[in-house]
Amino acid sequence: MMHEHYVIVGNGVTANAAADVLRERDPNARITMISDEFHLFYHRFRLPAFLLGEASESSLCVRPVSYYRERNIRLRLGQEVVRVELDRNLLYLKHMEKVGYTRLLLALGGKPHIPEVHYTYRHRFSTFKTLDDARLLRSRLGSIRSIVIAGGDLVSMRFATSLAKTGRNVMMMLASEAFWPLDLTETIREECIRSLTAKGVDVIDSDRIVGIDSADEQNFEVRTAAGLILPCQYVGAFFGWRPQVDFLVRSGLDIDRGILVDEHLRTNFDSVFAAGDCAQVYNPGIRNYWVSIGWPNAERLGRVAGENMAGGALEAGQAPQSALEVEGIQACTSWWREHGSE
Amino acid sequence: MDRNERIGENTVNREDLIVKICGSAGDGSISATEILNRAVASMGYHIMNFDSFPAEIRGFGKSCGHTRISKNPVRTPGDKADCLVALDDGHSISELKNLKSNGIIIYDSLPPSYRDEDTAVAGYIEPGMIGYGVPLRELSTEATRSAKSRNLVSLGVIATLFNFDPDAFVRAISKRFSGKKESVRTAVLEAFRLGQIFTSEKISKRDAIDFERKAYPREGEYIIISGNESAAQGCLDAGIRLYAGYPITPATKIMEILAKKLPIQEGVVVQTEDEISAVGHVLGAGFSGTRSATATSGPGLCLMSECINLGVMAEIPMVIIDCQRGGPSTGLPTKTEQSDLRIALYGASGDSPRPVIAPTTVAECHSLAMAAFEISDAYQTPVILLLDFFLSNRIEDIVPDPEGSARWGRFPDSIAKPGESPYKRYRITPSGVSPRSMPGTPELLFTATGLEHTENGRPNYDAANHKTMTDKRYAKLDALRNAWSLPEPIGDAGELDVGVISWGSSAGSAIEAMEILRERGFRVGGWIPRLLMPLHEDALEAFAARCRCLVVTEMNHSGQFADVIERVVHRPILRIAKVYSEPMPSDDIVRIVLGELS
Repeated sequence: MMHEHYVIVGNGVTANAAADVLRERDPNARITMISDEFHLFYHRFRLPAFLLGEASESSLCVRPVSYYRERNIRLRLGQEVVRVELDRNLLYLKHMEKVGYTRLLLALGGKPHIPEVHYTYRHRFSTFKTLDDARLLRSRLGSIRSIVIAGGDLVSMRFATSLAKTGRNVMMMLASEAFWPLDLTETIREECIRSLTAKGVDVIDSDRIVGIDSADEQNFEVRTAAGLILPCQYVGAFFGWRPQVDFLVRSGLDIDRGILVDEHLRTNFDSVFAAGDCAQVYNPGIRNYWVSIGWPNAERLGRVAGENMAGGALEAGQAPQSALEVEGIQACTSWWREHGSE
Repeated sequence: MDRNERIGENTVNREDLIVKICGSAGDGSISATEILNRAVASMGYHIMNFDSFPAEIRGFGKSCGHTRISKNPVRTPGDKADCLVALDDGHSISELKNLKSNGIIIYDSLPPSYRDEDTAVAGYIEPGMIGYGVPLRELSTEATRSAKSRNLVSLGVIATLFNFDPDAFVRAISKRFSGKKESVRTAVLEAFRLGQIFTSEKISKRDAIDFERKAYPREGEYIIISGNESAAQGCLDAGIRLYAGYPITPATKIMEILAKKLPIQEGVVVQTEDEISAVGHVLGAGFSGTRSATATSGPGLCLMSECINLGVMAEIPMVIIDCQRGGPSTGLPTKTEQSDLRIALYGASGDSPRPVIAPTTVAECHSLAMAAFEISDAYQTPVILLLDFFLSNRIEDIVPDPEGSARWGRFPDSIAKPGESPYKRYRITPSGVSPRSMPGTPELLFTATGLEHTENGRPNYDAANHKTMTDKRYAKLDALRNAWSLPEPIGDAGELDVGVISWGSSAGSAIEAMEILRERGFRVGGWIPRLLMPLHEDALEAFAARCRCLVVTEMNHSGQFADVIERVVHRPILRIAKVYSEPMPSDDIVRIVLGELS
């Protein structure tokens, strides 16, 4: 008897929730998780604490290797999918290996977005999404006195306040587009400024970066449209995330900003599912797609995806958790609602 | 931003590293390892290298170079590797079990086509391991228009990744290719350079191994040499004039070396039609007073046993080097084992005493080979020198014996002088050693035969004579035992929690295990005799009496040396007797001993 081979691309909360369900539903199936990150599943929201030495690297880990071994789930970490042939059920990995599947879940997450307007100096931005990013910054932190945070998505809030606590000069340049898929209303914006300022962050409002110069690889000068020159040792790009779907272009998948899936999280290929930050989920109620963010939403969608890959027919259900709270600031996940109300 | 900063974590200065280079036979794994050895040894590091390769010809089977690099003298090649260079994915996958859980894999990231699922080594990289993808084939082709220099590209990666002095590698590569055309030398150095450049520019270092380009200049001379080379040099320094042999793995290298070097000192190498003929040549040469040797492996030793027995009976000097391999029968030609001990000690009809000597290091292969000839001549007997695949093929950096042949290269003085009358070739003496004469010497003529004989060599089947002559032959072992230095116990003095007894090539693992046990707070001692026949039984009993737990470690299934020991000490022994096919891991000894002690 042929067993299913479930392949999950991703190793975040969605991917792991799906793997758990698949193992519960199908004890004999092969389950493979593929991630381009080298690290075990870790708590991203603890990265600022790790950065400041308040959390150890091991405390970031959600699950040890033994968890996967005990459940016969094969982890392929540090392995990047670079191409897919979905009509042949094949994935192509960067190290030149083909991997087949019977059911595929794309739980790719997002990658830091740097707007095109900053293209010419994009290499001078640093990102803070992964453990590797955090490790790198941690190794340099001793020589960093001033920091400019550009964008200002929700992740950056905790990052900025954490660094400000250490006495460093933290300057934040808010950009409304950075909050996608959330809606930076005037109320939230004012709340952000108030909260950040109270915590020692210097918020630079109504201005934008027009260039970044560097005398060396350690020291930068950020130029703004209002004529400010901000010397710093770190320029963080926090313009939000975008679904990590570059390698799926020309795969035949329906993709908008993310991978389009039906209410069962199934793509336009029967054997392919998508969930989490990379997916835009169809909501029959509003007859449009929504995007979810946040850990609880991602976990819930992962479980739904797992159930459906194993033969279930669960619906992703209503809109995701409607509000997130970061640093005391509540933000509505209203992106779908805007479109839904049209 | 420097390399260490880029990785975002602290590196540590490592002074002990195990590198394994794995490919298909013909991929250059062994050549690359040899260059690596020479490069790091020239920086002052100690090395121990042990290659494993298939018995078949090029293109078949796995070929693996395994090198341990350390600031301190190295006793074993180590068990699991820190770094695996995969020149062939298929073979390297099977080597992953020999990689540490946080080990490094350097693999070809750009093979000519996509590999099927589960046939790429990079696909097996587990959490904790670190994979570095390098386009080995592409860089090799760019440098030499051939994929064959992937091994040299990988050396460029190793040198850069671990921060070794690249000039040491350039010198070692240049030496390795010194006989080639200038264009070839330039191309191979370019392959190395491209590996360096790729690593420094494209690899984000994630491991913590950094040698900081440290060098430990040595005082005096050192040479990099294998056990077989060392034994062959021992034969030369002992002044042999004849080597006769039939090729057999892993002994063939000895014949190859002597075929080149022995004619220079007016000696002769004869490749015979089989092992029986080889040992017959050696027997004949010994009979006529010419130092001679043969080298073989287990299957050959079986064939030689009849002539060795004749040598015992007729009291003819001869040296047989047995490079043991996996058995029985043809067995495992390229795997190591210490399972010929029993045939070496006892493999003969009748009571057939013969000295058996087992070196434990490459340096001892030289000194004890010379000692074997000395003993053979002094006691007029065949002597068996026991190496094994691991000892024969492992490469160490050693300090040459300054005394060389001066210490051993002399003949004994038990030569009969004309005028002794009546001349008795087998005269009974307290030591069992009788005055020897060269065949054909007037007034010193004698009969030599495999039949039991009287003092003058004439056949005689009388029971009393047989007992006398048997005692005489065994008396030589007693004399040798008294003349040979007592094996000095090593480790702690006084009462011991653990006493470890070992022999031959596995002694290094035993000593390393002892050190680990001592670090854990146990009182540990060791007893490692080189002279296995005759055994210093009094010294063994004295050592055993000090030990709460007595352990015998060896690489065979049945505990052949443990049997010998048990007959002497008359007490229970913890036998660590296993056929690993590879060098005995010291961790295994520690684990088993701790299990016994708990």
